[in-house]
Amino acid sequence: MNTTPEIMIAFNLDRALKLLSGEKSAPLAGGTDLVPGIHQQAKRFAAIERLVDITRIPELKQVNVKNSGTTIGAGVTFSEILTHPRLGSEYPLLTKAAATIGSVQIRNRATIAGNFVNNAPCADSVPPLLVYDAIVRICSLKKSREIPLQEFLLKPYKTQLQTGELVTEIFLPPPPQNFGGDFYKLGRRRGVAISRITLALLLQTEKKKISGLRIAAGAVTPIGRRFYDIEHQYVGTEISAAGLKFLAVNVGKAILEETGWRWSSPYKLPVTQQIVYQILCKLT
Amino acid sequence: MKYITLTFSLNGNKISLKTHGNRRLLDVLRDDFGLTGTKEGCGIGECGVCTVILDGKAVNACLILAGQLEGSEVVTIEYLARDGKLTELQQAFLENGAVQCGFCTPGMLMSATALLNEVPFPSEIQIKEAIAGNLCRCTGYKQIIDAIQKTAIRLKK
Repeated sequence: MNTTPEIMIAFNLDRALKLLSGEKSAPLAGGTDLVPGIHQQAKRFAAIERLVDITRIPELKQVNVKNSGTTIGAGVTFSEILTHPRLGSEYPLLTKAAATIGSVQIRNRATIAGNFVNNAPCADSVPPLLVYDAIVRICSLKKSREIPLQEFLLKPYKTQLQTGELVTEIFLPPPPQNFGGDFYKLGRRRGVAISRITLALLLQTEKKKISGLRIAAGAVTPIGRRFYDIEHQYVGTEISAAGLKFLAVNVGKAILEETGWRWSSPYKLPVTQQIVYQILCKLT
Repeated sequence: MKYITLTFSLNGNKISLKTHGNRRLLDVLRDDFGLTGTKEGCGIGECGVCTVILDGKAVNACLILAGQLEGSEVVTIEYLARDGKLTELQQAFLENGAVQCGFCTPGMLMSATALLNEVPFPSEIQIKEAIAGNLCRCTGYKQIIDAIQKTAIRLKK
């Protein structure tokens, strides 16, 4: 039988970083992507000779909610995010997305960093993390660094993570005040579904004008992404039904510009635009 | 190298196992211990038929590697009935017609057992959520949900 990769458990961060310093090492947490991939001998995992289990490392299992911002350890599972006493009130879009991920069995294993570290376009936690301006904290034996999540995600299945580096935690700045928001996911069915469209939207209004706007999409774009141009374009504009409609149409156009016309576009485009519009209407 | 020795608890027994760390828990259970109540369905964590309870939580045995098990506590379907006596939940599955072909049943029972251990009196929504990761293609979910609900009521008394 195939004897690689070997599995080693790291019980602290130093040990994990040492074990991960080799070229052919990779971290293993929930395994919801890696384990079936290895079992099916998927090409993208073929080079891995050593898997380092990081699920027992206390430093990676912490959630700290403070006034100055929140840190979520890379190894925190989605079940732990859902049962955390404060995350739901501070970052409701994140917990709403977490609740849609897989099943209880998946959420009991799958971790927050594991969700985006492979940069799959359908990672459900990414759009909420993007609208909350998440920062990824990374460690290696030599140094540690921080990168905004949007910059960390380079292209489908490719991130800025280098050999020997491990995502250790996610930092979320304090939630923006007086913003309303919503998360939307569309899959082929409701439970245990790979998302086809995900949207996260935060909106702040003042005196019938848009005073703050953050929009991110996933699955329908090649990687999870924010729409900064549209956000800037609409902050300061008057709220009207026609204005919101145009905003929603423009989000669809921006997606189309990136993906080009696909077989699924006649379906996904109007759905995306309609959902953006519905969320905006609900929030104004 | 290549062989590792694992120590973990399986159905209440302390186990020491020499094996390859990259084997799935599912294969270890079925092939090494003959615990074939844990089935293989999709093998990618979608169908829930391989659900076991690992350290108190329902998990898919197809998504866990043997090398991750050190020091863990694994409970499989074989550990529910003891001395030929079914658990209340298993009895309720029979009484409510919650078993047809039976292939999904072990996974359903393990998900529902983990739920009832954590939430003694779950709502229908909580029950549906707890078994959302367990596919049944013949019985229908209604009888299964009924069985779990009735068990909760019976255990409450």
